[in-house]
Amino acid sequence: MKPEPGTVCPPLEFTPTRVQLFRFSAVTWNSHRIHYDQEHARAEGFPDVVVQSTLHGEMFARTVLRWAGPGAVLRRVEWRNRASAYADVPLTFSATVTAVREAGEGHLVELALTGTAAEGTVCAAGTVEVYVPSG
Amino acid sequence: MTGDPLEEVRARAARLRGRTERVRLGRITVRDLCRYAIAVGDDGYAVAARAAEAADRPVAAPPMFLTGILSWQDGPPEGELRPDGLGVRESPCTEGLPVRQVHGGQAVRLLAPVEAGMTIHAERSLTGADRKRGKAGDFVVLGLRTEYFDEAGTPLVVSDESVIVLGDADEA
Repeated sequence: MKPEPGTVCPPLEFTPTRVQLFRFSAVTWNSHRIHYDQEHARAEGFPDVVVQSTLHGEMFARTVLRWAGPGAVLRRVEWRNRASAYADVPLTFSATVTAVREAGEGHLVELALTGTAAEGTVCAAGTVEVYVPSG
Repeated sequence: MTGDPLEEVRARAARLRGRTERVRLGRITVRDLCRYAIAVGDDGYAVAARAAEAADRPVAAPPMFLTGILSWQDGPPEGELRPDGLGVRESPCTEGLPVRQVHGGQAVRLLAPVEAGMTIHAERSLTGADRKRGKAGDFVVLGLRTEYFDEAGTPLVVSDESVIVLGDADEA
């Protein structure tokens, strides 16, 4: 692969279910009730249980690694949460190449990230750096 | 304690600046990694990881595994959780205060591969506490750094995250 600035990765479509949010909370030992207790989430002003911030980070990483292919190595991921995302609302994770530089037998590639809810709200945005081997 | 909960958060944060807490994560197992992957819908990872384990090949962790785990502690017991469900340790500087918190974002630097079988520890420190003003009122942004190391002390991952602490209108 020879990445070029402006290249758009295939987006990752992901609709987090309530069961998935519960299991992610369980496996990450995150007992914050906004992620699994709808009544509590509403009391805090959210319409439904909230997608975990670190799940956004996971989806950003997968979006980029799926595009970068075998042998790719993630070097850095950073994102800021802009709006909450909720259970059963489809999300689209997108990445666009912004910079490429030679590195050993491959390239270090920077990409801009966005995680967008179905109605168009950007829930999270950030950047990533990934090493992509040549060939 | 000051009368303003957000100022109290800042005062507590100031007292913690410069201190580092060491956390023992323990030995990472293939099951830890597979459960994480399945929870995020990456079923293929678990199949490949179990095949690698059966063939005595190394099992690399999903890159975001370490930083995805909120707590490596056994507890706390349910009766010691805050009203929002968080443990005191996951909600630094806020114990007993009428505030709530949300995650602001994270920057993760991956320095070396993490594999099943490694014994890992982390060093955690508070890096900042800035009061800001938003549309819905004041809030404090806490900066937290967590650095992860293997048993030989090799740096594996560095995470800088921001936690936003908001005044709780219902309790204020």
